Amino acid sequence: MFESLPHHFKKYELAADVRTLILLRKSFEKGLINTLGDIYIVLKGIIVKSPKEIGPFATAFYDYFLNIKINKNENLDNAIARSDAFKEWLDNLNDEERWDDKNDMRDFINKFLDEVHLTTFDIERVIQGEDILKNDDPNMKDDNPQTEFDSNRRITKMADYSNLSLEELRRRMEQVAKQQKSRHEGGSHWIGAYGNSPYGHGGAAKGGIRVGGAGGGKMARAVIGDPNFYPVDKKQLLKDDNMDAALASLKGIEEETAEVVLDIEKTIQQGLKEGGIFLPYEKEKLHQKLKVLLLIDNGGYSMYPYVQSVQKLFSKMKTRFAHDLKVHYFHNTIYGGIYEDAARRKFMTIKKLIQLDKNYCVFILGDAAMAPYELDQHSQDDWKQLKKKFKKIVWLNPVRPKMWNYTLTTQWLGQIFSMYPLTPQGIEEAVLKMNQQGKIIQ
Amino acid sequence: MAHTEMWLGSEKYLCDMELAHAFHMARVLGMPLLIEGEPGTGKTELPLQYAKDSNLELFVYPVGSKSTVEQFVAKFDHVKYLRDSQIEVLNAQREEKGLEKKLSTGGRSTENLDDYVLMGPAAKAYSNDHSVLLIDEIDKAPREFPNDLLYALSHRKFVMPESGKVIETSEEKMPAIVITSNREQELPTAFKGRCIYHYIAFPPPETMREIIFKHFPKINDQLLEKSITIFYQLRHLGLERAPSTRELLNWLKYVNYFKPKDAIQKVEKLEGIGALIKTQMDLERIKRKFNK
Repeated sequence: MFESLPHHFKKYELAADVRTLILLRKSFEKGLINTLGDIYIVLKGIIVKSPKEIGPFATAFYDYFLNIKINKNENLDNAIARSDAFKEWLDNLNDEERWDDKNDMRDFINKFLDEVHLTTFDIERVIQGEDILKNDDPNMKDDNPQTEFDSNRRITKMADYSNLSLEELRRRMEQVAKQQKSRHEGGSHWIGAYGNSPYGHGGAAKGGIRVGGAGGGKMARAVIGDPNFYPVDKKQLLKDDNMDAALASLKGIEEETAEVVLDIEKTIQQGLKEGGIFLPYEKEKLHQKLKVLLLIDNGGYSMYPYVQSVQKLFSKMKTRFAHDLKVHYFHNTIYGGIYEDAARRKFMTIKKLIQLDKNYCVFILGDAAMAPYELDQHSQDDWKQLKKKFKKIVWLNPVRPKMWNYTLTTQWLGQIFSMYPLTPQGIEEAVLKMNQQGKIIQ
Repeated sequence: MAHTEMWLGSEKYLCDMELAHAFHMARVLGMPLLIEGEPGTGKTELPLQYAKDSNLELFVYPVGSKSTVEQFVAKFDHVKYLRDSQIEVLNAQREEKGLEKKLSTGGRSTENLDDYVLMGPAAKAYSNDHSVLLIDEIDKAPREFPNDLLYALSHRKFVMPESGKVIETSEEKMPAIVITSNREQELPTAFKGRCIYHYIAFPPPETMREIIFKHFPKINDQLLEKSITIFYQLRHLGLERAPSTRELLNWLKYVNYFKPKDAIQKVEKLEGIGALIKTQMDLERIKRKFNK
């Protein structure tokens, strides 16, 4: 069942596959799913793997199960209000509910959301609490802070599938999903229309049943449109808001981890002292610390906006990972050395620079654009020396890759170094490349 | 699992509905629950409080940068084993020489390899039915750790090193496994795929009020409102390190020592703000902002 589901969710760049279906099936068998609200919760647990996926997930869910299309920058309420599913649901409301003068559109949408996100647990709670509810005066709202909010909202029609057999339930859900795709009939089948409320006869149904506010609908509403729950555009140039994504990519730089190994020397020494009784001694394998060398082109206005964000990025990394970070500067290209300070007063010869440990990861940051005569043979040789010395070395370029071919010097430097755009994605690729380079020397 | 009823939190712990659902689902499906979220939002508290509230045995594995699956599951103590076997040789030699006194192996026998297996929290949790296993801060682990762990967890079965003893559990009796992460490192996709995922969003003021009530049932209303307002103001300043729930509770713990009237004043004057703000830059920024 739901064979088309993985395909549909993949369109929203979510990882859904056969395993998703198997888990969904298992959830059905274990009785986790009886309502649409349950499906929302279960699928979310299975599919969503990062807060950035919650937004796309909610969008995909509303599209697949209710045929409600949420446009970019649109909030959930508006999307619902113009959907067929909602209109049909409204049509199916009985007159009493519809002409209740307290209800305005927002109340209807709240109610609709409540029904969409109604879970088995809500139903169980209502059934268990039946007596309490009957005796409970609905006008008394503030007696219990737990159910305080939402206490005005009730569900009159509750889709209770608990009497159905598993097979029947599945068949029905499948059928509805199909119908919704082909006939654009809206989602009311899911919610309400099939519902044979356990309160169908008798007093409680008239007044409706109070929902405790599982918050599913509320959460979905909060999620839609909140940038915190959507993926970062990894192809954008490095800025403050995608800093974290870039940081995540930077963390991919491989570090050797600590291992305990047999200390052969000490074992033999001590064993001889003990007269031939060899007790093994262990020692920690020294772990290679991450060392980063940052060479920044800070000359000229073209580079100015990037210098700061890059420094911030690497210093952020430093606070989270204790490591050795060196930052040096140059202007356009290097002639025999680099500068130790941003003002470019303290010169450091290239000879001194290449005396550094060869395990440094070197990031060169610059636009690589200059007059061809500036990048003369000497300067090119200097770059090549660096390349020879440091195996883990990449160039990050803030200029869009499309433009690289228009500048001669960029092409030349691009031949010496692997060059990547200064975007979270570019950094990610650079780090991958760097790890490969590291492997080769080992 | 037998313990599959929904758990909604305890007196001290407010389990938000979404989290409760995810935790429930993980237990029903017999999968680990992976919780991510800002520090101080109660990720670690969930299994601790659940175990306490439901009277279940709890096993904790705090992950560090040197964690290995061996520590987590079980390790064979080669050093002890070698020592004991050499002691046996020594004892035999002593016997030959006619010496009475023997060296002790502390009750261990080299014949019985199980004596030298040091069980880690995972093996212990799997040998106790219906326990709770917490793997805390997995993002601190070396990169290969989550994948190794995955293999160990997905088989519901551990083979003890050297001794070959098998520790096995059934889907009904397996421990409720909770894994927490602060997102300092992206976890492998395959690993996440085997877990039920939940992200704890930062609680809105209404929820925060309930959380505070759980900890300070008798708190003064005005004090509560004031501190919540200030807390969310601080959070919206875009500080380098935004204060979290845990820190708000600590701050309230401090001001709550005083009489309500004094306490409100203290809150207004941002006294004891060190409980909330942890970097010098942020502190200076707040001072400028609030003109104090």
